[in-house]
Amino acid sequence: MFALALRSLRKRPARCTATLLSAFLGAAIIMTFQSMHDTAGRPGVDRVSAESLSTAASVVGGYGTLLVFFAVASTLTVNVRQRRSEMELLRCSGATPAQIGRMVVGEAVVIALVGAVLAIGPAMLGGRALLGVFQDSGQVARSVDYSFGPVALMSGIGITVLAAAGAAFLAVRRATRRSVPRRGARRLLAYGALALGAVAVCSTFAFSARDAALMAPPAYGAILLSVGCALVSPKLLTTVLDRLPLPGASGWFAVRNLRRRAAELSAVLMPLILFTCVATATLYMQAVENDAIDASGLPKSVDAKNLETLNLVVVGIIVVFACVMLVNSLYAATTYRAGEFGRQRLAGATPGQVLAAVGVESVVLTVTGVFFGTLAGLAGILPFTLVRSDTPLPGRGPGIWLGVVAVAALVTVGTSLLTARHAVRAPAVEAVTLAA
Amino acid sequence: MFHRARRTNDPGPAAEALRLVKVGKSYGTGAGAVTALDGVTLGLARGTFTAVMGPSGSGKSTLLQCAAGLERPDSGIVRVDGAEMTGGGEAELTRFRRSRIGFVFQQYNLLPTLTVAQNTILPLKLAGRRVDRARVREVLTAVGLGDRLGHLPDQLSGGQRQRVAIARALVTEPRVIFADEPTGALDTRSARDVLVLLREAVRVHGRTVVMVTHDPVAASYADSVVFLADGRLAGELHAPTVDAVAERLAHLGDDVLLEV
Ligand SMILES: Nc1ncnc2c1ncn2[C@@H]1O[C@H](COP(=O)(O)OP(=O)(O)OP(=O)(O)O)[C@@H](O)[C@H]1O
Ligand SMILES: [Mg+2]
Repeated sequence: MFALALRSLRKRPARCTATLLSAFLGAAIIMTFQSMHDTAGRPGVDRVSAESLSTAASVVGGYGTLLVFFAVASTLTVNVRQRRSEMELLRCSGATPAQIGRMVVGEAVVIALVGAVLAIGPAMLGGRALLGVFQDSGQVARSVDYSFGPVALMSGIGITVLAAAGAAFLAVRRATRRSVPRRGARRLLAYGALALGAVAVCSTFAFSARDAALMAPPAYGAILLSVGCALVSPKLLTTVLDRLPLPGASGWFAVRNLRRRAAELSAVLMPLILFTCVATATLYMQAVENDAIDASGLPKSVDAKNLETLNLVVVGIIVVFACVMLVNSLYAATTYRAGEFGRQRLAGATPGQVLAAVGVESVVLTVTGVFFGTLAGLAGILPFTLVRSDTPLPGRGPGIWLGVVAVAALVTVGTSLLTARHAVRAPAVEAVTLAA
Repeated sequence: MFHRARRTNDPGPAAEALRLVKVGKSYGTGAGAVTALDGVTLGLARGTFTAVMGPSGSGKSTLLQCAAGLERPDSGIVRVDGAEMTGGGEAELTRFRRSRIGFVFQQYNLLPTLTVAQNTILPLKLAGRRVDRARVREVLTAVGLGDRLGHLPDQLSGGQRQRVAIARALVTEPRVIFADEPTGALDTRSARDVLVLLREAVRVHGRTVVMVTHDPVAASYADSVVFLADGRLAGELHAPTVDAVAERLAHLGDDVLLEV
């Protein structure tokens, strides 16, 4: 089975690009920050420097692990779903579910290993730059030398490979299980995330305006809320769609398609909501923080500067990951639908009508994602602003939010339309036979 | 984008439902080029049921797709219900097809996300035409699926899916219905149902049906059989019987061998 996995990889290298990219990015981020542990562990590093380095490594390291798992899981789920017919064929030719599982997990492990090894070089450069930032801000002594050691290497490769293997195992189990998947576990997860998120957001009020950690509870709370929203959003979306009278044949089509594909939509909505929420929440909270410091008239402390840098790094990481996941899910979903587009055209749809339906679908998706993402983001921003500056709303206008929405809309609608346009280029009869 | 496809002053169906004049089509270029159709000229009267037969690779599917406007012929003229199919974009061809042509495929080609009823009214929706619910129910009842309106395609058997596809092809009241091996994936009994439906479309509703098949029994439901070999017409048989068709097919093989 492992040989089969390797052969299948060699035959279709393009198919695993997204998985490779998320493994690479994830490993690079983990190794960059974990190498701070290595650096802190060198002989002769003073206690203050060591502590700053370890804190950064632990905070972003934890984030990174979660993200790698999410991103690799999302790309692998899409990949496995695309190959359902191939796996069905294997099953019919006598492969046991365990054998198919070993093939997919084996493939994922190979991809993750390659991604992690490729990430070593960039991670070394990134780690050196990060140490430079800490030294410039005075958090770490100038005398500390950079080191890329066993902690960075082991955790980078280990976490990436483990995350890939686990995600592949779950994805293939979901795909090969014949029975209808249980809805209960998903709902439990959704309510759990929403409840935890609400608790985290509310706990903001337990902090004082000057607490250094004030930003953490609303930020984590908002992320948890957005995960919960992403889990319940397909169901809410179908309910709304039942009452949404979109005009024209393309609108009619789009609504029907979205309703049937609700389960697949969560693969698109998850990164979209996460992106909107994290970007909006973090950027506004940082803006509020900056305004509050300015208002106090004191010069920005080193700690505050450091927090800002870390915040922006985290936003950057999440935004890049969410974009990769979003583009991958949309691209895969739309390519996968080439046969469906062909069938629509054979039933009498012009290419323009097919594209219009895709456009309506992606606009509905964008609106849904932005709505829930903004809701979760606001749940974090409002308590933070209230505690930090005694007014509920940030003093900034909607500019940041509009920018975030523009990026979300551009990525969602752009990717869908470009891929769909490519898909309707082929003659309809050919598209149908190829996909069958 | 939703042009009204219904003709306002309908002059009624033309006497000749389909006319092909020297239609040629080849695939590929250079040494690897394949001539799929080699100057086919053919006329089919309104209200007839014609079967197209011939060896695999003889160009039957290509002929049907060119006649139905799903492929563009390299040369020649295609006229459906008196209107010539002209060049232009795919959108224009689609609008040409909508009111004149229905197509039934071996692989059904139903939309998996739409129910039986939604699949059936799809061509009307796309053409921006009014949907008469009673009429849709009537059409689906006629193909024996009046009680499955809300089912999804993957909840149906192959024969039932093909009957949905036929209902979908009938609902726009097209002049010509093309069917490419509509019974190719069905058992004898389901195949019979499908063939009876196609024959009824001709006898009862006055449609013109052109059907590709490999099965002499299926061909015997037609009024006449047109034989194709190497992209050229190779004879015709009126009022075909199963035995006559089988015999002609066997000899068709001989002719092709002799020519080589
Ligand atoms: N898209 C294509 N690209 C290249 N060659 C093609 C294409 N479609 C058909 N051909 C070639 O054109 C010829 C006629 O094909 P066609 O599909 O019309 O045959 P057919 O009579 O329908 O055969 P069958 O009974 O097997 O369905 C064949 O030689 C085939 O290889
Ligand atoms: Mg064929």
